[in-house]
Amino acid sequence: MNTGGMPLVNPHMLVLLVCPLTRGAVVYDAERHELISPQAGLAYPVREGVPIMLVEEARRTSEGEF
Amino acid sequence: MPRAARNPEATQFGFAHVGDAGEKTQRVGHVFQRVAPRYDVMNDVMSGGWHRVWKNIFVDVVAPRAGENVLDVAGGTGDIAKRLLKKTGGAINLTLADLSPEMLSVGKRRMADAGYWNKVTWVQADAAALPFDDACFDVITIAFGLRNVTRIDDALAEFYRCLRTGGRFFCMEFSPQVAAPLAKPYALYRDHIIPRLGAVVAHDRAAYQYLAESIQKFPAPHALGARLQAAGFAHTRADPLMGGVVYIHRAWKG
Repeated sequence: MNTGGMPLVNPHMLVLLVCPLTRGAVVYDAERHELISPQAGLAYPVREGVPIMLVEEARRTSEGEF
Repeated sequence: MPRAARNPEATQFGFAHVGDAGEKTQRVGHVFQRVAPRYDVMNDVMSGGWHRVWKNIFVDVVAPRAGENVLDVAGGTGDIAKRLLKKTGGAINLTLADLSPEMLSVGKRRMADAGYWNKVTWVQADAAALPFDDACFDVITIAFGLRNVTRIDDALAEFYRCLRTGGRFFCMEFSPQVAAPLAKPYALYRDHIIPRLGAVVAHDRAAYQYLAESIQKFPAPHALGARLQAAGFAHTRADPLMGGVVYIHRAWKG
């Protein structure tokens, strides 16, 4: 299935999703295709429209990224 | 629940004992990575097509209502999702979570073929650490998935947390207890035929050996009911299909 290379992020999903570690809010970074958990300092990747909400798969964000 | 250890399955992989929960998760992940492309064919072969009937009954029991937020955990190839959408004419907000990226890929392709791809919110997630807010679902389902979850009690607690008050939980799973007339032939089939079918059809005997073993290691219906209650659920109930080969468990968040 081709999404034209554009990760489709369903707005409904953004309402429901939280960080699995802190259960705090996540913020979508459309440029990097990541869901950022400021509390955890983690960025969860979104691949082909699917958020990968696993701590093991998340990128540790650098300080002052927000 | 009596003072049994929490998540006793976390260090069991079928009959084998594994070092820690991480190893169990990894080994189950490898099973689904390998079987994903042939998962649906194998389900038909192993069950003689019966899994389709079980899943239809399951979705009838779930009885989703228009407008509800529904989460299907370990939804993999979309078998339950497709039926939930069909039953409601696509009028539910459906989120599908699975830990296996390979199963999600197969599911996305299949749901696209069925015209349902954009009706589903796809998330890769661990049932024991769900990335969803408290009380945000009306219904949570898991069909033939709980057996493969590393930390079952943690997952049940997560299902409870993510359901709203009055929310309903439904689980369909194989049972280690099968009624007498069927018990022996079924055990023979499960332990000897299924691994061979796996070898021939899916070219992976080990994966289906795990399947057969994991069925025997899964808690009996009353034990799962007790663990659902320990997680906070009320009105737990388990109904057998086909002499207890499969059970539909339901529970309510009061």
